[in-house]
Amino acid sequence: MMAETPFSPGDMARRRKRAIALALILAGLAVLFFVTTIVRLGGSVGMRSF
Amino acid sequence: MRGIDAHIAGTATAQGGQGTAGDYFALLKPRVMSLVVFTALVGIVAAPGTIHPWLGAVALLAIAVGAGASGALNMWYDADIDAVMKRTASRPVPRGAILPGEALGFGLTLAAGSVLVLGLLVSWAAAALLAFTIFFYAVVYTMWLKRRTPQNIVIGGAAGAFPPMIGWATVTGGVDLGSIALFLIIFMWTPPHFWALALWREGDYAKAGIPMLPVVAGPDETRKQILIYSLLLAPIAFLPSLLGTTGLFYTIAAAVLGAAFLHYAMQVYRRREGAAADRACKKLFGFSILWLFLIFAAILVERGLGLAVFQPVFG
Repeated sequence: MMAETPFSPGDMARRRKRAIALALILAGLAVLFFVTTIVRLGGSVGMRSF
Repeated sequence: MRGIDAHIAGTATAQGGQGTAGDYFALLKPRVMSLVVFTALVGIVAAPGTIHPWLGAVALLAIAVGAGASGALNMWYDADIDAVMKRTASRPVPRGAILPGEALGFGLTLAAGSVLVLGLLVSWAAAALLAFTIFFYAVVYTMWLKRRTPQNIVIGGAAGAFPPMIGWATVTGGVDLGSIALFLIIFMWTPPHFWALALWREGDYAKAGIPMLPVVAGPDETRKQILIYSLLLAPIAFLPSLLGTTGLFYTIAAAVLGAAFLHYAMQVYRRREGAAADRACKKLFGFSILWLFLIFAAILVERGLGLAVFQPVFG
């Protein structure tokens, strides 16, 4: 038996859209920090010898 | 705040979670944000020195989000007066789309996030200025001055004047005379800009109990103050040239724009009755937005075309 939810289908749709927006923002932040780290380290970091 | 809580209690909205992504975006005051981003960009471009374009873009993003956070915190605290003013009644909190607590959480999260991102990725000096700007707008202006004194937008206007200083600090790592000159331009521009709006929206502000100058001191005194601030603004616009930040192109632009601003301010001062008075106020309000855009665009164009380089007169 399905548990009753206090949220209507409209509420759930809005909640889903907000969750997607939040996920995209978090992914964007990860990219932002990664690229900025590379930029601050300088271009030669990718060419270094191990 | 309490009025809004009572209004929302017992409705479906009371459980929260009703706001759309668009409602949350509206909390950021996107039109104000665009002006903040533009003036901060000019601060970055006008500052002596260079910054990696990516870091400049990250700084602008953080400043934009910080400005948005200020807007959200303002809408949280002012929801009760927003509800009774025609211009603001359809904002997400008074409309019931977003709960005050949700707006508060959203604003605080963005405020902390924007300051941290700017500090960690670009400059802690700029981050400190951004944190102070958010505090100034949300606490000093919104919570303290706005409902208490007709000088609210004179002092509170400083919050809107900080963005070019923040942009400048991302390049130089500090504050100097050049960035203070850009600050002063917006600081002196704010009173005539908002008082022109307040003159024809006087009824709205009176209904909400906000002691705007026309409500407290009357329209005649407000017209006099608009003229005084406009007379001060015109010479202050030349400060960047006197300090060596800008060159001939900007100086000519400042002279032409300053004369036009004074013309519109004089119209407001002279026309005191009926539709002509309202028209003069609307014209000054509209032109003041264009003025700020053009005066900062002049710096951008001058730097973009290589018409001027930074030549400090002092220091």
